[in-house]
Amino acid sequence: MADHDHDTHAHGHEAALEPEAPEAHATRRAVLQAAIGMGAGAAVLSTLYVGAGLIPKKEITPDREPIAQGDVLVYSQGPKRGQPINPAELKPGAEMIVAYPMNPESQVVKGAELKNTLLVMKLDPGTLDAETAKLAAEGVVVYSGVCKHLGCVVSNWVADKQLMLCPCHGALYDPKESGKALIVAPKPLGQFPIKLENNRIVIAGEPTRPIGVEAATDDGIRRV
Amino acid sequence: MYQWLDERLDLSRLNTKFLRKAFPVHHSFFLGEITLFAFVVLVLTGIFLTLNYEPSTRPVKIEGYNDPVPAAYASILYIDSLPFGAVLRSLHHWSAHIMIAAAFLHMLRIHLTGAYKKPRELNWLIGIVLLVLAIVTAFTGYALPFDNYALTATGIGYHIGEAAPWLGKAMSAILFAGELEASNTKTIPRLFSIHVLWLPLLLLAMIGAHLLLMVKQKHTQPKYAEKVAPGRILGVPAMPQQAVMMGVLFLVYVAVTTFIAGAFLAHPVEAFGPPTPNTPSVKPDWYFMWIYGILQILPQWDLKILGANFGPQFVGGILVPTLIILGAMAIPFLEPQKEKQRYLELPSQHPRRTSFVLAMLMFYIMATLAGYKIDFLNANPNLSSGTLIAILWVLLIVAPILTYIISYILMKAAYRSREVEIEFTGRASAADD
Ligand code: HEM
Ligand code: FES
Repeated sequence: MADHDHDTHAHGHEAALEPEAPEAHATRRAVLQAAIGMGAGAAVLSTLYVGAGLIPKKEITPDREPIAQGDVLVYSQGPKRGQPINPAELKPGAEMIVAYPMNPESQVVKGAELKNTLLVMKLDPGTLDAETAKLAAEGVVVYSGVCKHLGCVVSNWVADKQLMLCPCHGALYDPKESGKALIVAPKPLGQFPIKLENNRIVIAGEPTRPIGVEAATDDGIRRV
Repeated sequence: MYQWLDERLDLSRLNTKFLRKAFPVHHSFFLGEITLFAFVVLVLTGIFLTLNYEPSTRPVKIEGYNDPVPAAYASILYIDSLPFGAVLRSLHHWSAHIMIAAAFLHMLRIHLTGAYKKPRELNWLIGIVLLVLAIVTAFTGYALPFDNYALTATGIGYHIGEAAPWLGKAMSAILFAGELEASNTKTIPRLFSIHVLWLPLLLLAMIGAHLLLMVKQKHTQPKYAEKVAPGRILGVPAMPQQAVMMGVLFLVYVAVTTFIAGAFLAHPVEAFGPPTPNTPSVKPDWYFMWIYGILQILPQWDLKILGANFGPQFVGGILVPTLIILGAMAIPFLEPQKEKQRYLELPSQHPRRTSFVLAMLMFYIMATLAGYKIDFLNANPNLSSGTLIAILWVLLIVAPILTYIISYILMKAAYRSREVEIEFTGRASAADD
């Protein structure tokens, strides 16, 4: 390689005296092309580097911390926004509440993170299947509120069928059977284990599924 | 004055070279112009909007709301309260719909008359880029009012983008400055910049290239020109006749659309309210409805290749539209020809191509129909969703095929009878209309 370089260099030198030497042209062209190529490459790389800066770093503020064991569920909206949900006040089978977790020590409501949205409802304990009942407390069940399909909040309650409905594309989830997805959504909603303490609903552990949009697999889908 | 300018700028050359250029006239040629008018109106009304819109989600207290609302939301209410503010905002909104619809119809006109053939392949490609750019621009503007409906609808697009294998997450994060959620303060400034600066500039540049190419390559003309003046362009000069026509048409366009905007106010933000944890039931605009429909009837599956997921969201939301766009781009290259295309072709003389266009339109209509799946289910509680999905699938596949076959047979039959007529009378009746 080094030898070769030396060779072409020598040729280039002669070319100065003898302008017609074709190799000299070829060498000069190769050098220029290499320079242009490297320049273009550097430009593309630095553009990509600038472009990568367009993805902002996620700031974790106290109101964005993930759901943790011990968090107390509070109303996300309405007149009682920010107040703990009293399980005794829930009407069985008739309503579903969109809730946020609150850090019990700092009293910060962690509602800035969409993924922290939770769904709370009280059902007839007799209708829950064994798996679901294990994580429930006196019929109160808690699910992640983020639709598995394309990330909308599953905010509607279909009282006559006792199902959770996502208004975006009509995904239905069954809160009596571990959040099983009936249509549209690829996977069941994650259920949170909870306990009831001093008229409060408290998160007691990890959800049964990762939170948020997920890819499909066959588990938990009943094809209709 | 004219002479002074002429001596310096050589205006007479401009005059003979460009302004006296003859433009063929046909009513269907106005579709491209309507697209252009819609763009001009979008820019003008958009400038008004930027002067009063606040691209921020900072919470502000305003009258009539117990809790603070995002500043962007509040500024839309403010715009609506300005004199003619609501009309101008509606005009902006409806013009976006009109631009996309007109560009689409313009594209159909180009396709049906064979105007995409050599030498106009490049302009066909630029045209498709323009249509896609127009749709993307509309999408990036959608979230700006930052009401509950807009945020939910845009969120679906965000998650579809995320479903693209490998690059999806990064692409979505760049477009929306991170995750799209009500509390992300960076999203609105990012979308604002893209919507009012980058995409309009890109559109402007591409429209310029589109029109330059059109002038350079000369417009196709109706067939009668071949009989009247073979080899020459039959039309009216750009200056002053064509310009006057366009000017009048533009004024008529502005008058009609302003009337529409005044009568039908667009996107009533106060009815949707600021973002809440409750999801409103959203329906996308008509130009996304077909994608939305396909997403609703695709079954769920799992396919992982090299760590990336190729799920139904990707297939319905990204792959199918991309394939259709690539297919449309290929059209001029599937029919190479030696001579340059100078005259319009009659749709009736190209039954295969015309039937194909009709079949694609039927596909679009059927996919749009699938977008109303939930409404069909709500209206018929006895209908199982499995049966409905099966019906929609059959419609989506069978209806376009039937459309093709029927229109092909009808056109062949009609065309043959006309050939006979030509033999008898020596001319085709109304063939060139
Ligand atoms: C979105 C913005 C667009 C604008 C503002 C626009 C504007 C125009 C205008 C004013 C004309 C001349 C008048 C006419 O023939 O209608 C034209 C011609 C043309 N456009 Fe477009 N157009 C757009 C999109 C498209 C699309 C989506 C296509 C196709 C994919 C397309 C392909 C063409 C072609 C091939 C011509 C030459 C027509 C001929 O010579 O007969 N354009 N365009
Ligand atoms: S996002 Fe919930 S059904 Fe599509």
